[in-house]
Amino acid sequence: MIHVLIFLPLVFGLLVLLRPGQARGLGLLGAAAALVLGLVSFGAFLDGSSGAYQVPLLAEAGVYYAVAWDGVGAVLMLAVVITTFIALLAAHDVPPAMVGLALLMESGLLGILAARDLVLFYVFFEATLIPSLLMLGLFGGSGRVRALVKFAIFTLVGSLLMLAGILAVRYLGGAPSFLQADLLAHPLAGAAGTWAFAAFLIAFMVKTPLFPLHVWLPDFHAENHPSGLADVMGTLYKVGLFGFFRWALPLFPEAFAAFQPWLLALAALTALGAAWTAYAQTDWKRLLAYGALSHMGVGALGLFSGTPEGALGAIFLLAASAVYTGALFLFAGSLHRRFGTLDLRPTSGLAKSAPALAALGLILVLAMVGLPGLSGFPGEFMNLLGAWQASPVWTFVGFLAVIAAAAYALGAYQQIFHSAPDKPADDLDAFEWQWGTLATLVIVFMGVYPKLFTQALQPAAEALAALLGGGR
Amino acid sequence: MLLLLILLLPLLGFVFLGLFGKHLREPAPGVIASALTGLSFLLVLYGVLTGGAEWAVKDWLPGIPFSLVLDPLSGYMGLVVTGIGFLIHVYAIGYMHGDAGFSRFFAYLNFFIAMMMTLVLAGSYPVMFIGWEGVGLASFLLIGFWYTEKKNADSARKAFITNRIGDLGFLLGMALLYSLFGTLSIAELREAIESSTVLPLALGTAGLLLFVGAVGKSAQVPLMVWLPDAMAGPTPVSALIHAATMVTAGVYLIARSSFLYANLQDVSYFIAVIGLVTAAYGALSALGQWDIKKIVAYSTISQLGYMFLAVGVGAYWIALFHVMTHAFYKALLFMASGSVIHALGGEQDVRKMGGLRKYLPRTHLHGLAGALSLAGFPLLAGFWSKDAIITSTLTYPFGGTGFYLAGLAVAFLTAVYAMRWYVLVFLGEYKGSGHPHEAPPVMTVPNDVLALGAVFAGFLALPEPLWNLVEPYLAPALAHVEKHHMALSLEWGLIALSAVVALVGLYLGYLAFTRRALPGWYLTFQTWSSNAFYVDRVYNVLIVNPLKELALVLALFDGFLDTVYIAAAGTGSWLGGLLSKVQTGYVRAYGALMVLGLVAVLVWGVLR
Repeated sequence: MIHVLIFLPLVFGLLVLLRPGQARGLGLLGAAAALVLGLVSFGAFLDGSSGAYQVPLLAEAGVYYAVAWDGVGAVLMLAVVITTFIALLAAHDVPPAMVGLALLMESGLLGILAARDLVLFYVFFEATLIPSLLMLGLFGGSGRVRALVKFAIFTLVGSLLMLAGILAVRYLGGAPSFLQADLLAHPLAGAAGTWAFAAFLIAFMVKTPLFPLHVWLPDFHAENHPSGLADVMGTLYKVGLFGFFRWALPLFPEAFAAFQPWLLALAALTALGAAWTAYAQTDWKRLLAYGALSHMGVGALGLFSGTPEGALGAIFLLAASAVYTGALFLFAGSLHRRFGTLDLRPTSGLAKSAPALAALGLILVLAMVGLPGLSGFPGEFMNLLGAWQASPVWTFVGFLAVIAAAAYALGAYQQIFHSAPDKPADDLDAFEWQWGTLATLVIVFMGVYPKLFTQALQPAAEALAALLGGGR
Repeated sequence: MLLLLILLLPLLGFVFLGLFGKHLREPAPGVIASALTGLSFLLVLYGVLTGGAEWAVKDWLPGIPFSLVLDPLSGYMGLVVTGIGFLIHVYAIGYMHGDAGFSRFFAYLNFFIAMMMTLVLAGSYPVMFIGWEGVGLASFLLIGFWYTEKKNADSARKAFITNRIGDLGFLLGMALLYSLFGTLSIAELREAIESSTVLPLALGTAGLLLFVGAVGKSAQVPLMVWLPDAMAGPTPVSALIHAATMVTAGVYLIARSSFLYANLQDVSYFIAVIGLVTAAYGALSALGQWDIKKIVAYSTISQLGYMFLAVGVGAYWIALFHVMTHAFYKALLFMASGSVIHALGGEQDVRKMGGLRKYLPRTHLHGLAGALSLAGFPLLAGFWSKDAIITSTLTYPFGGTGFYLAGLAVAFLTAVYAMRWYVLVFLGEYKGSGHPHEAPPVMTVPNDVLALGAVFAGFLALPEPLWNLVEPYLAPALAHVEKHHMALSLEWGLIALSAVVALVGLYLGYLAFTRRALPGWYLTFQTWSSNAFYVDRVYNVLIVNPLKELALVLALFDGFLDTVYIAAAGTGSWLGGLLSKVQTGYVRAYGALMVLGLVAVLVWGVLR
């Protein structure tokens, strides 16, 4: 079943590309099928079935097709299938090829999450880049070339370094294959380990992203198709924290320990700096880009604390923010559909003519602010508990972002929805009711009953912390 | 399950009214919301009478249960919240009559009650934080209820952001406690802290951080600036959130954590000082206000200061006693103000009032009862609780004579501004141009009940040797504090002194504000006071504006960083040009090939 789940979206994606006339139906069918399979797989995982499978791909080179769900992969997998479905539900007026590319990305993302062989991981990691670049290049705005070059160069430079790191970790470490278990059994210590870790570090810092390797992100979002579909997939593709969790930290605990103080500082500065910068933005997507960047900083702060609480919080936040950040990009798309601009101030007092739209916007914004009871809180809170144990000072600095978040998020929201009514607009249409309701339910559920996900994440988080020496 | 139901009933009301309220005719949403709040009250009462209850979901977050506890403390507070809340709901049916957002208003009110009860019933700090932030959101929604006015929307945001500053303190305090004890359950922390003598510095820091949260929520100096602006909301909101219940959450937090503070002398002293400074600042600012609600709002800040003075000196039960009496008379003052505003068609400036005693006889009585209770007129509720606070500075462990004298001085000011409010609104000649008319019974009857409370609630806890029902009831839930015993003659002498101070204040206030001309020095003071000593302006210049500008600078820096990368990426412009050409020219073909290649490799690998 795990293979079907990983490759089904790919099949549907190719079908969509071949038969663009039926893009909407095929796309929704593919995403729905993945959603159902994902839910079933998650249930099976909770019952103890990881779906582990491996077969040699290039036996001589020690490359395997090895996949399995663990708690981290399973929770993020759920975020991917849910968010992709929501996005395709919302994106009813995008070019057909975009639907196909989104499904290709979904397959790539599921592969990234399931891969238990480092080369396989790398292949999925890189393959996912292609549809992402294509979406930006084919359907982006007027500044797409610049944004695309920037995105491509940052990602590819990171990837090349990681490739070197991948080769180093196996051949210098002496593992018989690229399988995760083999690599963990043959750790690469000393200076070589430090350099290999640095290579992974740069790749994943680009993909988290973290200051100062984040500069591709605002342009990437601002220039992508206004519907928000590409932004949703791009948000899901920010798998840097997962990369750290699954590969970089367990493979190089020693090197990580040496870098840890600096990484905590970078994470805290990303969290605060991005939130603050968001306040000065005048474009919805740039604002969301910086807001999401700030959240990734908070997640990194937790993860780099090396504690079980922080590691769990980071992945929970990653999964939760995929849903609400994604939904916010779709929401920006809804505003664009109405006003033809992503400017933060297309109108004012919109709550008067479009109360349901206002309510949906408020829920999404509050999830982003981290209001308890919504999905943004549990991850943020666990990050806080973890990060404090590693560094109270950087925790304080990073969590100043919770104040800044209230300022930028509510400020932006009120610009449009409050004050004297200006240009009226239509309230939610049928599509928006559908995806908005679904997104709201997921966001509330994750906030009210985080236990479902934390119980899946806990063993993996504790194992990582034990490896890093930060367990209780 | 009983406890869950207490939260779920109003929450259900919120969801139902939020989704379907539009389709209901006018009194229905108000009746539904009031009924649900009333039911919650009855459930709390039932729980209190049957000796409490507990409910928990284990490992809601890893190691952190979602737990609710009904003990004497939460039962007492819960009765105040749902009881007064119910009366305010009923009053709002009349006050919000004809408003386009009638059902939305009651949805928000119910949401507030649900969150406030989450805060009150919480058995662990994270659960309390859910309610804590939830009431903050309710406050944001209700202050900005008439959001089409930009000023109201701005006030709403200001309240939320200012509260978040405090919330960060709460969050960090939780993180510190968790790192020390590995739990955030209040009962477990109590046990751990009472049995450990180590780490006084860390505990003190945790106490301070939690107190920062309380400072934000309870509008203490220096985070008091949001509360006066919060008067932008409809009057029942001011009564419910910004007087009777939400703002006392900070006091509740400290009382709930009394096991922590009872051993922290320095932190407690600091809390008492902040409380006293706030009490003085609020009273001095209330004196010069011209808006009928703002006088009451600054009075709230001042009275909250008294409550923090009480928890600071260690008199936890007295602070809670004052929470209750204050809830009665302050809700009453706000809703009497609301009736006045209602009667005058929206007028809020006290200079255009006066003489309303004739036109609004019932509301006049409410206003009088509220003002006298606030002023500490002998034997009224406010007299007993405030006097208990002032006397406690001499008998409780962290008190002192300085606190006593300052507390007494502020009590004098309180009597003066309470009388000023009453004189300007109800006495003299009517100076406006409207035709004042008394409010309907749906508004006056709840005020009747509140007035009874404002007059008689003090008799629940009288000084020795008379009866005291509050202290022994709350004792099991609060930290045990050793107090000095005072000779009865001295104690009653001080009570008499309090009474004299209040009466003199009232008399002087009456003399001063029924006269035409006030002396020059007072007019200077008046200007400063009516601007609340320009704190808002100072904050804007020193903090808010620089922070906004820094945001622009940071955005510029991001652009600069971008430029640096671009410069580094192409050492020559031709290289950059070449690079971008290669990327855009071939990316589609490159992409398609990669996908096909990947599929081929995988298929080959799996099938082989």
